[in-house]
Amino acid sequence: MNVRLLSCETVGMEIDYRYLVRADRIHGSLLHDRDIFAEEMQQIFVRGWAFVGHESETKNNGDWVKRQLGTESVIMVRGDDGEINVLSNRCAHRGTALCWEHSGNDSFFQCTYHNWRFGLDGSLRAVPFPDGYSKPKEDLGLDRAGQVANYRGFVFANLDGSACSIDEHLGDAGFELIDRLCEMSPTGKIDLSKGWIGHRVQSNWKLWPESDSDGYHVGFVHASMSASTDTYYDDVAVGGEAVKSSRAVDYGRGHLELDWRPSYKQELSWLGVTRERVRNYCSALAKRVGDEVAQQLLWDGPPHAFLFPNLFLGETVIAIVEPVSPTEMIHRHTAVQFEGVDDAFNERLLRQTEAAVGPASFITSDDAITAERIQAGVSGTATSWAATSRGWVDLSRGMHREVMDEGGVRSSDASDETTNRGFWSRYLEIMSQE
Amino acid sequence: MNADTATQLKAEVEEFLYREARYADEFLLDEWEGLLTDDFHYWVPAGRIEGDPAKQLAYLNDNRARVATRIRQLQTGKRLSQLPTSPMRRILSNIEVQQEAADQISVKANFVIYELAAQSTGELRVWPGQAQYQLRRLQGELRMAAKWIELVTAQAGQRNLTFLI
Ligand code: FES
Ligand SMILES: [Fe+2]
Repeated sequence: MNVRLLSCETVGMEIDYRYLVRADRIHGSLLHDRDIFAEEMQQIFVRGWAFVGHESETKNNGDWVKRQLGTESVIMVRGDDGEINVLSNRCAHRGTALCWEHSGNDSFFQCTYHNWRFGLDGSLRAVPFPDGYSKPKEDLGLDRAGQVANYRGFVFANLDGSACSIDEHLGDAGFELIDRLCEMSPTGKIDLSKGWIGHRVQSNWKLWPESDSDGYHVGFVHASMSASTDTYYDDVAVGGEAVKSSRAVDYGRGHLELDWRPSYKQELSWLGVTRERVRNYCSALAKRVGDEVAQQLLWDGPPHAFLFPNLFLGETVIAIVEPVSPTEMIHRHTAVQFEGVDDAFNERLLRQTEAAVGPASFITSDDAITAERIQAGVSGTATSWAATSRGWVDLSRGMHREVMDEGGVRSSDASDETTNRGFWSRYLEIMSQE
Repeated sequence: MNADTATQLKAEVEEFLYREARYADEFLLDEWEGLLTDDFHYWVPAGRIEGDPAKQLAYLNDNRARVATRIRQLQTGKRLSQLPTSPMRRILSNIEVQQEAADQISVKANFVIYELAAQSTGELRVWPGQAQYQLRRLQGELRMAAKWIELVTAQAGQRNLTFLI
């Protein structure tokens, strides 16, 4: 164990997360310290559950996509049995990465160093000159994720297999948020196979869960968008507590929502159109769920939510938070596509995504710059014990007025930092466990 | 087309492209917008320039109305990701001109942009790629009907891309 002293209350050589993460504030070192980053990759992305991809990306047996889970490269592949496997992208022989493209279709993975060949389930199938090995082949397969779960196409993995069940990880709220998205589709199914676009940001990865679920900044960071075009964010998120009924919600376990539903002023706001323009979609939806439910769905729209630790459900956009280093991350997004709609409708969703999210977008480009400015601000905060009287980040907004329901769900005005506190309290639980 | 007219056209096209490049570099947004046709299409795909742009998820896919919004947003003075604007200069080269019809010219050119991220990290960023233009002659003047950008780094993800590329 190395690790510097981080607080005056620490006597050992461990990072004292309870000291650094408080109910009302966190210390800036959490956003740039290298040792903390290394521990996060292990505790959160190896020992815990994280989102990997969507089954529509691997429709046929042998289809695979390459992903990062924390700093580990993995392959999500549909096996010969039609099941989705999550394998380490690392040859079991001497560690060479197997896949270089973003995606592909193969009936096996062959390493380019000594041509070992692995099946789609990760098992070792063949090695050249096998007489040189006395070990059984079964001991030389690829590392597989210890647990994989698929809920309505959303594939989650826990690499080392030691985490709780997916039911416990997602909780009722996690499932319900995914339901609310999928139910918007006329068939109840969505498709996420239009490819992912990477937005490279020089900030700590944790600034994005915070930004994606922060309702306080919208009127400031996105003022240029409000000033240049009509957007539903003007109705649901700009103007503060005096005029809005949107809620910031902490469901527990780090799952968060900015619940816009009470603030929408008309149906289909989230799509930026009136019913006339998307009649086919509305009637196809009503055909499956009935007029009354459809009416409600069309008002409420898909959720704006974050599922710990790396999945953002942004209405009709899905994004993955991908850590690269303590001060670098990729916000990777794709557009939701519905089944059972005409091409024009799905093209509308593509154009809406391009407008909202990504390096050239009207919205999250400004969030990215903000994250980089936060990074510039906090990167000077020292991690030595002597300096922690300085460099705190305040997250106390709305603490005095948030409410908790019988189920333990906390909520407050959408401009309150209830969501941010929800993220950090889950973070603390995980990082301080043995 | 004889050699003289071809040389003349190439010179005219180059003059137009250099002007367009300078307007973009210097954030002369009204001047830049003045070069566009009413049906201008602006596209930066996340891979090669191929297939139907409408069916792909791109970094940027603006019709004329959306490019107008993009310019308006930059002109609000509140566009954080260009506040301050990036000092930048681009070099155009390998210009190939193809006369498609009497009033329709398609052009390919390589470019490199050097951009300083003055609004955030202050680092120098380099943006290499190919630009494909559709130019149209309207009342004798060249106008830009399409600008498609294929970045060398298209598949690798991008940093802030809120300037005019
Ligand atoms: S490292 Fe893969 S076969 Fe040797
Ligand atoms: Fe934002």
